[in-house]
Amino acid sequence: MKSWSSRSAALMMSVSLIALTACEEPKVDASIYESIGQCKSDPHNTADQCEGSFKEASSQHAAVAPKYSSAEDCQADFGQGKCEEAPYKTSSGGSVFMPLMMGYMMGRRNSMMSQPLYRSAKSPNSFRTAENQNVGSKTGGTKVARSAASRPSFKNSTRSRGGFGSSARRFGSAAT
Amino acid sequence: MQRISVTERPNLANIAAEHELEHIADQGITGWNESAYYQFTRRQIEEDLTGPVEEIENLCFEVVDRAVNNQEVLSRLGIAEPFWDYIAESWRNGEKNLYGRMDLSYHGEGPVKLLEYNADTPTALYETSVLQWEWLEQATELELIPRGCDQLNDVHESIVNVFPKLDIRTMSHFACNHNIEDDKGTLDYLEECAREAGLKTCSIAMKDIGLDDEGRFIDFDGQVINTLVKLYPWEWIMAEDFGPHIPSSGTQFIEPPWKAILSNKGLLPLLWGMFEGHPNLLPAFFEDDPAAAAFANAGSYVRKPMLSRQGENIKIVHEGKIIFQSDGPYGSDAHILQGFHPLPVLDCGYPLIGCWLVASKAVGLCIREDKTLVTGRDSRCIPHVILD
Repeated sequence: MKSWSSRSAALMMSVSLIALTACEEPKVDASIYESIGQCKSDPHNTADQCEGSFKEASSQHAAVAPKYSSAEDCQADFGQGKCEEAPYKTSSGGSVFMPLMMGYMMGRRNSMMSQPLYRSAKSPNSFRTAENQNVGSKTGGTKVARSAASRPSFKNSTRSRGGFGSSARRFGSAAT
Repeated sequence: MQRISVTERPNLANIAAEHELEHIADQGITGWNESAYYQFTRRQIEEDLTGPVEEIENLCFEVVDRAVNNQEVLSRLGIAEPFWDYIAESWRNGEKNLYGRMDLSYHGEGPVKLLEYNADTPTALYETSVLQWEWLEQATELELIPRGCDQLNDVHESIVNVFPKLDIRTMSHFACNHNIEDDKGTLDYLEECAREAGLKTCSIAMKDIGLDDEGRFIDFDGQVINTLVKLYPWEWIMAEDFGPHIPSSGTQFIEPPWKAILSNKGLLPLLWGMFEGHPNLLPAFFEDDPAAAAFANAGSYVRKPMLSRQGENIKIVHEGKIIFQSDGPYGSDAHILQGFHPLPVLDCGYPLIGCWLVASKAVGLCIREDKTLVTGRDSRCIPHVILD
Protein backbone atom coordinates (compact mmCIF):
# COMPACT_ATOMS: atom_id res chain seq x y z
CA MET A 1 0.00 0.00 0.00
CA LYS A 2 1.35 3.47 -0.83
CA SER A 3 1.90 5.89 2.00
CA TRP A 4 -0.25 8.99 2.30
CA SER A 5 2.64 11.30 1.47
CA SER A 6 2.96 9.71 -1.96
CA ARG A 7 -0.83 9.85 -2.33
CA SER A 8 -0.87 13.60 -1.74
CA ALA A 9 2.08 14.24 -4.08
CA ALA A 10 0.31 12.44 -6.92
CA LEU A 11 -2.83 14.38 -6.14
CA MET A 12 -1.14 17.78 -6.24
CA MET A 13 0.49 16.97 -9.55
CA SER A 14 -2.75 16.02 -11.25
CA VAL A 15 -4.52 19.12 -9.96
CA SER A 16 -1.83 21.52 -11.24
CA LEU A 17 -1.80 19.83 -14.66
CA ILE A 18 -5.50 20.48 -14.99
CA ALA A 19 -5.03 24.15 -14.04
CA LEU A 20 -2.32 24.56 -16.69
CA THR A 21 -4.35 23.18 -19.57
CA ALA A 22 -7.20 25.62 -18.96
CA CYS A 23 -4.99 28.65 -19.72
CA GLU A 24 -3.65 27.58 -23.09
CA GLU A 25 -6.37 28.59 -25.60
CA PRO A 26 -5.20 31.22 -28.15
CA LYS A 27 -6.62 34.74 -27.82
CA VAL A 28 -7.88 37.27 -30.34
CA ASP A 29 -8.34 41.06 -30.22
CA ALA A 30 -11.84 42.35 -29.44
CA SER A 31 -13.61 45.46 -28.22
CA ILE A 32 -16.25 45.29 -25.50
CA TYR A 33 -18.67 48.10 -24.64
CA GLU A 34 -21.64 48.52 -22.34
CA SER A 35 -23.34 51.01 -24.69
CA ILE A 36 -23.04 52.81 -28.04
CA GLY A 37 -21.95 55.92 -26.10
CA GLN A 38 -19.04 54.08 -24.50
CA CYS A 39 -18.04 52.70 -27.90
CA LYS A 40 -18.06 56.16 -29.48
CA SER A 41 -15.88 57.59 -26.72
CA ASP A 42 -13.15 55.11 -27.71
CA PRO A 43 -11.07 56.97 -30.35
CA HIS A 44 -10.34 53.64 -32.04
CA ASN A 45 -13.88 53.53 -33.51
CA THR A 46 -15.98 55.65 -35.83
CA ALA A 47 -19.58 56.48 -34.90
CA ASP A 48 -20.79 54.35 -37.82
CA GLN A 49 -18.82 51.36 -36.65
CA CYS A 50 -20.29 51.72 -33.14
CA GLU A 51 -23.85 52.01 -34.34
CA GLY A 52 -23.51 49.24 -36.90
CA SER A 53 -21.99 46.82 -34.39
CA PHE A 54 -24.59 47.62 -31.76
CA LYS A 55 -27.38 46.98 -34.27
CA GLU A 56 -25.85 43.70 -35.33
CA ALA A 57 -25.45 42.53 -31.72
CA SER A 58 -28.90 43.57 -30.55
CA SER A 59 -30.59 42.02 -33.57
CA GLN A 60 -29.18 38.64 -32.47
CA HIS A 61 -30.00 39.09 -28.78
CA ALA A 62 -33.52 37.63 -28.69
CA ALA A 63 -32.48 34.63 -30.75
CA VAL A 64 -29.23 33.70 -29.00
CA ALA A 65 -29.85 34.60 -25.35
CA PRO A 66 -30.44 31.64 -22.98
CA LYS A 67 -34.15 31.04 -22.50
CA TYR A 68 -36.21 30.13 -19.45
CA SER A 69 -39.78 29.10 -18.94
CA SER A 70 -40.00 31.11 -15.71
CA ALA A 71 -38.82 34.55 -14.67
CA GLU A 72 -37.56 33.08 -11.37
CA ASP A 73 -35.25 30.60 -13.09
CA CYS A 74 -33.86 33.33 -15.32
CA GLN A 75 -33.30 35.62 -12.34
CA ALA A 76 -31.63 32.80 -10.39
CA ASP A 77 -28.96 32.80 -13.10
CA PHE A 78 -28.82 36.50 -13.97
CA GLY A 79 -30.12 38.39 -10.94
CA GLN A 80 -33.25 40.17 -9.77
CA GLY A 81 -34.58 42.62 -12.33
CA LYS A 82 -32.06 41.46 -14.94
CA CYS A 83 -34.46 39.47 -17.13
CA GLU A 84 -37.11 40.35 -19.67
CA GLU A 85 -39.81 38.54 -21.57
CA ALA A 86 -38.61 37.04 -24.86
CA PRO A 87 -40.63 37.40 -28.09
CA TYR A 88 -41.39 33.68 -28.10
CA LYS A 89 -43.86 31.27 -26.55
CA THR A 90 -43.27 27.72 -25.31
CA SER A 91 -44.96 24.88 -27.20
CA SER A 92 -47.71 24.95 -24.60
CA GLY A 93 -48.21 28.69 -25.06
CA GLY A 94 -46.37 29.84 -21.95
CA SER A 95 -44.11 32.87 -21.65
CA VAL A 96 -40.39 32.70 -22.22
CA PHE A 97 -37.82 34.81 -20.37
CA MET A 98 -34.27 35.83 -21.17
CA PRO A 99 -31.53 37.96 -19.57
CA LEU A 100 -31.16 41.63 -20.49
CA MET A 101 -28.41 42.44 -22.97
CA MET A 102 -25.70 44.14 -20.91
CA GLY A 103 -23.18 45.02 -23.58
CA TYR A 104 -21.72 43.89 -26.87
CA MET A 105 -18.49 42.67 -28.34
CA MET A 106 -17.10 43.59 -31.73
CA GLY A 107 -13.90 42.97 -33.64
CA ARG A 108 -10.79 45.16 -33.22
CA ARG A 109 -8.48 45.23 -36.24
CA ASN A 110 -10.18 42.06 -37.42
CA SER A 111 -13.39 40.92 -39.00
CA MET A 112 -15.02 39.41 -35.91
CA MET A 113 -18.80 39.59 -36.03
CA SER A 114 -20.54 41.53 -33.25
CA GLN A 115 -22.51 39.71 -30.59
CA PRO A 116 -24.53 40.55 -27.47
CA LEU A 117 -23.05 40.13 -23.98
CA TYR A 118 -24.61 39.33 -20.60
CA ARG A 119 -23.69 39.39 -16.90
CA SER A 120 -24.45 36.42 -14.62
CA ALA A 121 -25.66 36.80 -11.03
CA LYS A 122 -22.71 34.79 -9.75
CA SER A 123 -20.06 36.93 -11.45
CA PRO A 124 -21.72 40.29 -12.12
CA ASN A 125 -18.45 42.05 -12.92
CA SER A 126 -17.61 39.96 -15.98
CA PHE A 127 -19.25 39.78 -19.35
CA ARG A 128 -20.41 36.48 -20.81
CA THR A 129 -21.35 35.54 -24.33
CA ALA A 130 -24.66 33.88 -25.15
CA GLU A 131 -22.69 30.60 -25.08
CA ASN A 132 -21.79 31.44 -21.47
CA GLN A 133 -18.11 32.04 -22.13
CA ASN A 134 -16.47 34.52 -19.81
CA VAL A 135 -14.83 37.37 -21.78
CA GLY A 136 -13.58 39.29 -18.77
CA SER A 137 -14.57 42.58 -17.19
CA LYS A 138 -12.48 44.98 -19.29
CA THR A 139 -14.24 47.40 -21.63
CA GLY A 140 -12.56 48.92 -24.70
CA GLY A 141 -9.77 46.98 -26.38
CA THR A 142 -9.15 43.55 -24.88
CA LYS A 143 -8.22 39.96 -25.74
CA VAL A 144 -10.68 37.07 -25.59
CA ALA A 145 -10.42 33.32 -26.18
CA ARG A 146 -10.78 32.54 -29.86
CA SER A 147 -13.71 30.21 -29.25
CA ALA A 148 -15.60 33.04 -27.54
CA ALA A 149 -15.51 35.05 -30.77
CA SER A 150 -17.51 32.57 -32.82
CA ARG A 151 -21.09 33.28 -33.74
CA PRO A 152 -23.53 32.36 -30.95
CA SER A 153 -26.21 29.76 -31.66
CA PHE A 154 -29.97 30.15 -31.72
CA LYS A 155 -31.44 29.07 -28.34
CA ASN A 156 -34.82 27.66 -29.11
CA SER A 157 -35.28 25.63 -25.93
CA THR A 158 -35.97 26.77 -22.39
CA ARG A 159 -34.26 25.62 -19.27
CA SER A 160 -35.34 25.36 -15.65
CA ARG A 161 -33.35 24.89 -12.47
CA GLY A 162 -33.71 23.91 -8.84
CA GLY A 163 -35.71 20.70 -9.28
CA PHE A 164 -33.31 18.84 -6.99
CA GLY A 165 -32.33 19.65 -3.44
CA SER A 166 -35.64 20.10 -1.62
CA SER A 167 -35.38 16.89 0.47
CA ALA A 168 -32.13 18.08 1.96
CA ARG A 169 -33.98 21.04 3.46
CA ARG A 170 -36.22 18.55 5.26
CA PHE A 171 -33.74 15.85 6.23
CA GLY A 172 -30.30 17.46 6.38
CA SER A 173 -27.29 15.28 5.66
CA ALA A 174 -27.49 12.65 2.96
CA ALA A 175 -24.91 10.42 4.60
CA THR A 176 -25.77 7.07 6.18
CA MET B 1 -11.06 -8.49 19.14
CA GLN B 2 -9.23 -6.28 21.58
CA ARG B 3 -9.71 -2.63 22.36
CA ILE B 4 -6.37 -1.17 23.36
CA SER B 5 -5.80 2.26 24.87
CA VAL B 6 -3.04 4.24 23.20
CA THR B 7 -1.39 7.64 23.43
CA GLU B 8 -2.78 10.16 20.98
CA ARG B 9 -0.40 11.74 18.52
CA PRO B 10 0.87 15.16 19.63
CA ASN B 11 -0.52 18.24 17.83
CA LEU B 12 -3.96 16.89 16.99
CA ALA B 13 -5.04 20.47 16.33
CA ASN B 14 -2.48 20.74 13.52
CA ILE B 15 -3.49 17.39 12.10
CA ALA B 16 -7.13 18.50 12.09
CA ALA B 17 -6.18 21.75 10.33
CA GLU B 18 -4.26 19.86 7.63
CA HIS B 19 -7.31 17.76 6.89
CA GLU B 20 -9.77 20.64 7.29
CA LEU B 21 -11.53 18.90 10.17
CA GLU B 22 -12.95 20.45 13.31
CA HIS B 23 -10.86 20.27 16.46
CA ILE B 24 -12.15 21.23 19.91
CA ALA B 25 -9.68 21.72 22.77
CA ASP B 26 -9.94 18.91 25.39
CA GLN B 27 -12.18 16.94 23.05
CA GLY B 28 -9.95 16.32 20.07
CA ILE B 29 -10.94 15.94 16.42
CA THR B 30 -14.71 15.84 15.94
CA GLY B 31 -15.90 12.41 14.86
CA TRP B 32 -12.51 10.79 15.50
CA ASN B 33 -11.04 9.13 18.57
CA GLU B 34 -7.45 7.94 18.60
CA SER B 35 -7.13 7.35 22.32
CA ALA B 36 -7.68 3.68 21.56
CA TYR B 37 -7.66 1.22 18.67
CA TYR B 38 -9.11 -2.18 17.88
CA GLN B 39 -6.81 -5.07 17.12
CA PHE B 40 -7.76 -7.99 14.90
CA THR B 41 -5.89 -11.07 13.74
CA ARG B 42 -5.55 -11.72 10.02
CA ARG B 43 -7.76 -14.78 10.39
CA GLN B 44 -10.53 -12.66 11.94
CA ILE B 45 -10.31 -10.15 9.08
CA GLU B 46 -10.31 -12.71 6.29
CA GLU B 47 -12.55 -15.44 7.65
CA ASP B 48 -14.95 -13.51 9.87
CA LEU B 49 -15.19 -10.21 7.98
CA THR B 50 -14.10 -9.80 4.35
CA GLY B 51 -15.14 -13.30 3.26
CA PRO B 52 -18.69 -13.07 4.67
CA VAL B 53 -19.08 -9.42 3.51
CA GLU B 54 -18.32 -10.37 -0.10
CA GLU B 55 -20.68 -13.30 0.21
CA ILE B 56 -23.44 -11.00 1.52
CA GLU B 57 -22.80 -8.72 -1.48
CA ASN B 58 -23.50 -11.69 -3.76
CA LEU B 59 -26.71 -12.47 -1.85
CA CYS B 60 -27.68 -8.83 -2.35
CA PHE B 61 -27.16 -9.16 -6.11
CA GLU B 62 -29.53 -12.13 -6.08
CA VAL B 63 -32.08 -9.98 -4.28
CA VAL B 64 -31.72 -7.24 -6.89
CA ASP B 65 -31.99 -9.75 -9.72
CA ARG B 66 -35.27 -11.04 -8.37
CA ALA B 67 -36.62 -7.62 -7.34
CA VAL B 68 -36.17 -5.97 -10.75
CA ASN B 69 -38.62 -8.49 -12.21
CA ASN B 70 -41.12 -8.14 -9.38
CA GLN B 71 -43.33 -5.07 -9.28
CA GLU B 72 -44.83 -6.04 -5.96
CA VAL B 73 -41.37 -5.97 -4.35
CA LEU B 74 -40.42 -2.65 -5.93
CA SER B 75 -43.68 -1.18 -4.77
CA ARG B 76 -43.14 -2.58 -1.24
CA LEU B 77 -39.78 -0.80 -1.15
CA GLY B 78 -41.61 2.45 -1.82
CA ILE B 79 -40.15 2.86 -5.31
CA ALA B 80 -42.61 4.67 -7.58
CA GLU B 81 -43.81 3.00 -10.79
CA PRO B 82 -42.13 5.41 -13.27
CA PHE B 83 -38.79 4.06 -12.02
CA TRP B 84 -39.46 0.32 -12.23
CA ASP B 85 -38.33 -0.18 -15.84
CA TYR B 86 -35.52 2.33 -15.41
CA ILE B 87 -34.09 0.45 -12.41
CA ALA B 88 -34.55 -2.93 -14.11
CA GLU B 89 -32.70 -1.72 -17.21
CA SER B 90 -29.83 -0.27 -15.17
CA TRP B 91 -29.37 -3.73 -13.62
CA ARG B 92 -29.69 -5.66 -16.88
CA ASN B 93 -27.26 -3.28 -18.60
CA GLY B 94 -24.75 -3.96 -15.84
CA GLU B 95 -24.38 -0.30 -14.83
CA LYS B 96 -21.32 -0.10 -12.63
CA ASN B 97 -21.32 0.59 -8.90
CA LEU B 98 -18.50 2.34 -7.05
CA TYR B 99 -18.78 1.79 -3.31
CA GLY B 100 -20.83 1.05 -0.22
CA ARG B 101 -20.47 0.26 3.49
CA MET B 102 -22.02 -2.66 5.35
CA ASP B 103 -22.66 -2.12 9.04
CA LEU B 104 -22.05 -5.25 11.08
CA SER B 105 -22.30 -6.49 14.61
CA TYR B 106 -19.24 -8.56 15.54
CA HIS B 107 -17.98 -9.82 18.88
CA GLY B 108 -14.56 -11.11 17.84
CA GLU B 109 -15.67 -14.61 17.06
CA GLY B 110 -18.62 -16.29 15.50
CA PRO B 111 -20.48 -15.16 12.45
CA VAL B 112 -20.72 -11.44 11.83
CA LYS B 113 -24.31 -10.18 11.51
CA LEU B 114 -25.46 -7.68 8.89
CA LEU B 115 -27.34 -4.80 10.52
CA GLU B 116 -27.73 -2.65 7.41
CA TYR B 117 -26.20 -1.90 4.03
CA ASN B 118 -25.37 1.74 3.25
CA ALA B 119 -25.23 1.14 -0.46
CA ASP B 120 -25.88 4.63 -1.84
CA THR B 121 -24.46 7.45 0.32
CA PRO B 122 -22.12 5.96 2.95
CA THR B 123 -20.40 8.32 5.37
CA ALA B 124 -16.99 8.16 7.12
CA LEU B 125 -15.14 7.63 3.84
CA TYR B 126 -12.39 10.14 4.53
CA GLU B 127 -11.83 8.92 8.08
CA THR B 128 -11.52 5.36 6.81
CA SER B 129 -9.38 5.95 3.78
CA VAL B 130 -7.11 8.81 4.76
CA LEU B 131 -7.22 9.65 8.45
CA GLN B 132 -6.98 6.07 9.63
CA TRP B 133 -4.11 5.22 7.30
CA GLU B 134 -2.12 8.30 8.25
CA TRP B 135 -2.65 7.38 11.93
CA LEU B 136 -1.25 3.89 11.28
CA GLU B 137 1.89 5.25 9.62
CA GLN B 138 2.54 7.96 12.18
CA ALA B 139 1.66 5.87 15.25
CA THR B 140 4.11 3.24 14.02
CA GLU B 141 6.83 5.82 13.44
CA LEU B 142 6.25 7.36 16.85
CA GLU B 143 6.27 3.86 18.36
CA LEU B 144 2.82 4.35 19.87
CA ILE B 145 1.83 0.97 18.43
CA PRO B 146 3.92 -2.14 17.81
CA ARG B 147 5.92 -2.47 14.56
CA GLY B 148 4.40 -4.69 11.94
CA CYS B 149 0.81 -3.53 12.37
CA ASP B 150 -1.26 -3.60 9.20
CA GLN B 151 -4.79 -2.35 8.51
CA LEU B 152 -7.65 -3.45 6.28
CA ASN B 153 -7.39 -0.33 4.16
CA ASP B 154 -6.97 -0.34 0.39
CA VAL B 155 -9.81 2.14 0.02
CA HIS B 156 -7.94 5.02 -1.62
CA GLU B 157 -6.07 2.91 -4.19
CA SER B 158 -9.20 0.90 -4.95
CA ILE B 159 -11.32 3.96 -5.62
CA VAL B 160 -8.62 5.50 -7.84
CA ASN B 161 -8.24 2.21 -9.76
CA VAL B 162 -11.98 1.73 -10.17
CA PHE B 163 -12.92 5.21 -11.40
CA PRO B 164 -11.57 4.65 -14.96
CA LYS B 165 -13.53 1.38 -15.13
CA LEU B 166 -16.94 2.91 -14.46
CA ASP B 167 -17.73 3.56 -18.15
CA ILE B 168 -17.62 7.33 -17.66
CA ARG B 169 -17.55 8.83 -21.16
CA THR B 170 -16.59 12.47 -20.69
CA MET B 171 -16.60 14.86 -17.76
CA SER B 172 -18.20 13.80 -14.50
CA HIS B 173 -20.11 16.18 -12.29
CA PHE B 174 -19.91 15.71 -8.53
CA ALA B 175 -23.01 16.84 -6.69
CA CYS B 176 -24.34 17.07 -3.16
CA ASN B 177 -26.03 19.53 -0.85
CA HIS B 178 -23.28 22.12 -0.42
CA ASN B 179 -24.77 23.33 2.86
CA ILE B 180 -23.70 20.17 4.70
CA GLU B 181 -19.93 20.35 5.31
CA ASP B 182 -19.56 16.62 5.93
CA ASP B 183 -21.27 15.70 2.68
CA LYS B 184 -19.23 18.27 0.74
CA GLY B 185 -16.00 17.04 2.36
CA THR B 186 -16.69 13.43 1.41
CA LEU B 187 -17.64 14.43 -2.11
CA ASP B 188 -14.54 16.62 -2.54
CA TYR B 189 -12.41 13.65 -1.55
CA LEU B 190 -14.17 11.41 -4.10
CA GLU B 191 -13.60 14.07 -6.74
CA GLU B 192 -9.90 14.24 -5.86
CA CYS B 193 -9.70 10.48 -6.33
CA ALA B 194 -11.35 10.75 -9.73
CA ARG B 195 -8.86 13.42 -10.77
CA GLU B 196 -5.99 11.34 -9.51
CA ALA B 197 -7.32 8.63 -11.80
CA GLY B 198 -7.13 11.06 -14.71
CA LEU B 199 -10.82 11.89 -15.06
CA LYS B 200 -12.17 15.35 -15.86
CA THR B 201 -14.47 16.54 -13.12
CA CYS B 202 -16.38 19.49 -11.81
CA SER B 203 -18.50 20.19 -8.80
CA ILE B 204 -22.10 21.40 -8.55
CA ALA B 205 -24.71 21.83 -5.83
CA MET B 206 -27.78 19.62 -6.29
CA LYS B 207 -30.03 22.67 -6.30
CA ASP B 208 -28.06 24.25 -9.16
CA ILE B 209 -28.71 21.37 -11.55
CA GLY B 210 -30.90 22.54 -14.42
CA LEU B 211 -33.04 20.89 -17.07
CA ASP B 212 -33.06 21.92 -20.72
CA ASP B 213 -36.05 21.66 -23.01
CA GLU B 214 -34.82 18.36 -24.38
CA GLY B 215 -35.08 16.91 -20.87
CA ARG B 216 -31.35 16.68 -20.26
CA PHE B 217 -29.77 17.74 -16.97
CA ILE B 218 -27.43 20.71 -17.34
CA ASP B 219 -24.95 22.42 -15.07
CA PHE B 220 -24.63 26.09 -14.27
CA ASP B 221 -22.89 26.79 -17.58
CA GLY B 222 -25.54 25.03 -19.62
CA GLN B 223 -23.32 22.00 -20.24
CA VAL B 224 -25.14 18.68 -20.40
CA ILE B 225 -24.42 16.49 -17.36
CA ASN B 226 -23.42 13.13 -18.82
CA THR B 227 -22.31 11.51 -15.57
CA LEU B 228 -23.42 12.54 -12.10
CA VAL B 229 -21.58 11.24 -9.05
CA LYS B 230 -24.05 12.15 -6.33
CA LEU B 231 -23.76 12.13 -2.58
CA TYR B 232 -27.53 12.45 -2.46
CA PRO B 233 -29.94 9.58 -2.01
CA TRP B 234 -31.93 7.88 -4.72
CA GLU B 235 -35.12 7.99 -2.69
CA TRP B 236 -34.80 11.78 -2.45
CA ILE B 237 -34.13 12.53 -6.12
CA MET B 238 -36.86 10.15 -7.29
CA ALA B 239 -39.39 12.14 -5.24
CA GLU B 240 -38.21 15.67 -6.08
CA ASP B 241 -39.49 17.97 -8.87
CA PHE B 242 -36.92 16.80 -11.45
CA GLY B 243 -37.50 13.15 -10.48
CA PRO B 244 -39.83 12.30 -13.38
CA HIS B 245 -37.16 13.50 -15.83
CA ILE B 246 -34.49 11.11 -14.56
CA PRO B 247 -35.37 8.01 -16.60
CA SER B 248 -35.23 9.86 -19.93
CA SER B 249 -32.37 12.23 -19.09
CA GLY B 250 -29.60 10.03 -20.48
CA THR B 251 -27.44 10.87 -17.45
CA GLN B 252 -25.27 8.11 -16.00
CA PHE B 253 -25.63 8.05 -12.21
CA ILE B 254 -23.10 6.84 -9.66
CA GLU B 255 -24.31 5.00 -7.65
CA PRO B 256 -26.47 3.44 -10.41
CA PRO B 257 -30.28 3.27 -10.10
CA TRP B 258 -30.38 -0.43 -9.08
CA LYS B 259 -28.58 0.54 -5.84
CA ALA B 260 -31.91 2.06 -4.74
CA ILE B 261 -33.01 -1.50 -3.96
CA LEU B 262 -30.03 -2.07 -1.65
CA SER B 263 -29.87 1.28 0.09
CA ASN B 264 -33.36 0.67 1.42
CA LYS B 265 -33.75 -1.24 4.72
CA GLY B 266 -36.46 -3.26 2.98
CA LEU B 267 -33.41 -5.16 1.71
CA LEU B 268 -33.21 -6.91 5.09
CA PRO B 269 -36.58 -8.69 4.97
CA LEU B 270 -35.94 -9.49 1.30
CA LEU B 271 -32.62 -11.14 2.23
CA TRP B 272 -34.24 -13.06 5.08
CA GLY B 273 -37.08 -14.11 2.80
CA MET B 274 -34.67 -15.59 0.25
CA PHE B 275 -31.93 -16.85 2.57
CA GLU B 276 -33.63 -17.57 5.89
CA GLY B 277 -31.23 -19.01 8.43
CA HIS B 278 -28.06 -17.75 6.73
CA PRO B 279 -25.43 -17.32 9.51
CA ASN B 280 -24.64 -13.70 8.63
CA LEU B 281 -28.24 -12.50 8.46
CA LEU B 282 -30.67 -11.49 11.18
CA PRO B 283 -34.37 -12.30 10.96
CA ALA B 284 -36.22 -9.38 9.37
CA PHE B 285 -39.79 -8.70 8.26
CA PHE B 286 -41.81 -5.93 6.67
CA GLU B 287 -43.95 -4.54 9.47
CA ASP B 288 -47.19 -5.31 7.64
CA ASP B 289 -46.15 -8.93 7.07
CA PRO B 290 -48.24 -11.29 9.27
CA ALA B 291 -45.01 -13.00 10.35
CA ALA B 292 -43.84 -9.68 11.82
CA ALA B 293 -46.55 -9.74 14.51
CA ALA B 294 -45.51 -13.20 15.67
CA PHE B 295 -41.89 -12.10 15.68
CA ALA B 296 -42.67 -8.99 17.71
CA ASN B 297 -44.60 -11.07 20.24
CA ALA B 298 -41.46 -13.00 21.09
CA GLY B 299 -40.35 -9.76 22.76
CA SER B 300 -37.00 -8.76 21.21
CA TYR B 301 -36.71 -6.76 18.00
CA VAL B 302 -35.54 -3.52 16.44
CA ARG B 303 -38.06 -1.39 14.58
CA LYS B 304 -36.56 0.78 11.81
CA PRO B 305 -38.04 2.98 9.09
CA MET B 306 -37.14 1.66 5.64
CA LEU B 307 -35.45 4.91 4.69
CA SER B 308 -34.04 6.45 7.87
CA ARG B 309 -30.43 7.47 8.31
CA GLN B 310 -27.88 8.10 11.07
CA GLY B 311 -29.73 6.19 13.74
CA GLU B 312 -32.90 8.25 13.66
CA ASN B 313 -36.40 6.94 14.42
CA ILE B 314 -35.18 3.60 15.81
CA LYS B 315 -36.90 1.62 18.55
CA ILE B 316 -35.35 -1.36 20.32
CA VAL B 317 -37.53 -3.72 22.34
CA HIS B 318 -35.90 -6.38 24.50
CA GLU B 319 -37.76 -8.90 26.62
CA GLY B 320 -40.91 -6.91 26.07
CA LYS B 321 -39.51 -3.54 27.19
CA ILE B 322 -38.47 -0.56 25.08
CA ILE B 323 -34.77 -0.14 25.87
CA PHE B 324 -33.95 2.47 23.24
CA GLN B 325 -35.88 4.98 21.19
CA SER B 326 -34.63 7.82 19.00
CA ASP B 327 -36.41 10.72 17.33
CA GLY B 328 -36.17 11.95 13.81
CA PRO B 329 -38.04 12.99 10.67
CA TYR B 330 -38.56 9.49 9.26
CA GLY B 331 -41.30 8.29 11.62
CA SER B 332 -44.08 8.30 9.05
CA ASP B 333 -42.27 5.95 6.63
CA ALA B 334 -43.02 2.25 6.29
CA HIS B 335 -41.05 0.16 8.81
CA ILE B 336 -39.30 -3.15 9.14
CA LEU B 337 -38.61 -5.32 12.17
CA GLN B 338 -35.21 -6.91 12.60
CA GLY B 339 -33.89 -9.36 15.19
CA PHE B 340 -32.10 -7.67 18.08
CA HIS B 341 -28.41 -8.59 18.07
CA PRO B 342 -26.81 -6.12 20.45
CA LEU B 343 -23.48 -4.53 19.65
CA PRO B 344 -20.68 -5.63 21.98
CA VAL B 345 -19.83 -3.28 24.84
CA LEU B 346 -16.14 -2.67 25.25
CA ASP B 347 -14.94 -0.08 27.75
CA CYS B 348 -16.21 3.22 26.45
CA GLY B 349 -18.97 2.35 24.09
CA TYR B 350 -20.59 0.17 21.50
CA PRO B 351 -18.42 -0.45 18.41
CA LEU B 352 -20.12 -0.82 15.06
CA ILE B 353 -17.97 -2.40 12.36
CA GLY B 354 -18.30 -0.80 8.95
CA CYS B 355 -16.85 -2.79 6.09
CA TRP B 356 -16.21 -0.83 2.90
CA LEU B 357 -16.72 -2.35 -0.50
CA VAL B 358 -15.26 -0.76 -3.62
CA ALA B 359 -16.54 -2.33 -6.84
CA SER B 360 -17.94 -5.08 -4.59
CA LYS B 361 -14.59 -6.05 -3.08
CA ALA B 362 -14.17 -5.70 0.71
CA VAL B 363 -11.19 -3.33 1.01
CA GLY B 364 -11.65 -1.25 4.13
CA LEU B 365 -12.82 -1.29 7.69
CA CYS B 366 -13.95 1.56 9.86
CA ILE B 367 -15.16 1.18 13.40
CA ARG B 368 -17.48 3.72 14.94
CA GLU B 369 -18.20 3.90 18.63
CA ASP B 370 -21.30 5.38 20.14
CA LYS B 371 -22.36 5.70 23.76
CA THR B 372 -25.68 4.04 22.92
CA LEU B 373 -26.80 0.85 21.20
CA VAL B 374 -27.73 2.77 18.05
CA THR B 375 -24.87 4.43 16.20
CA GLY B 376 -25.81 8.01 15.48
CA ARG B 377 -24.38 11.35 14.53
CA ASP B 378 -22.30 11.66 17.72
CA SER B 379 -20.39 8.47 17.03
CA ARG B 380 -16.63 8.66 16.57
CA CYS B 381 -14.40 6.66 14.25
CA ILE B 382 -11.74 4.66 15.98
CA PRO B 383 -8.74 3.20 14.12
CA HIS B 384 -7.88 -0.48 13.93
CA VAL B 385 -4.84 -2.63 13.27
CA ILE B 386 -4.22 -6.16 12.13
CA LEU B 387 -1.56 -7.91 14.16
CA ASP B 388 -1.02 -11.62 14.54
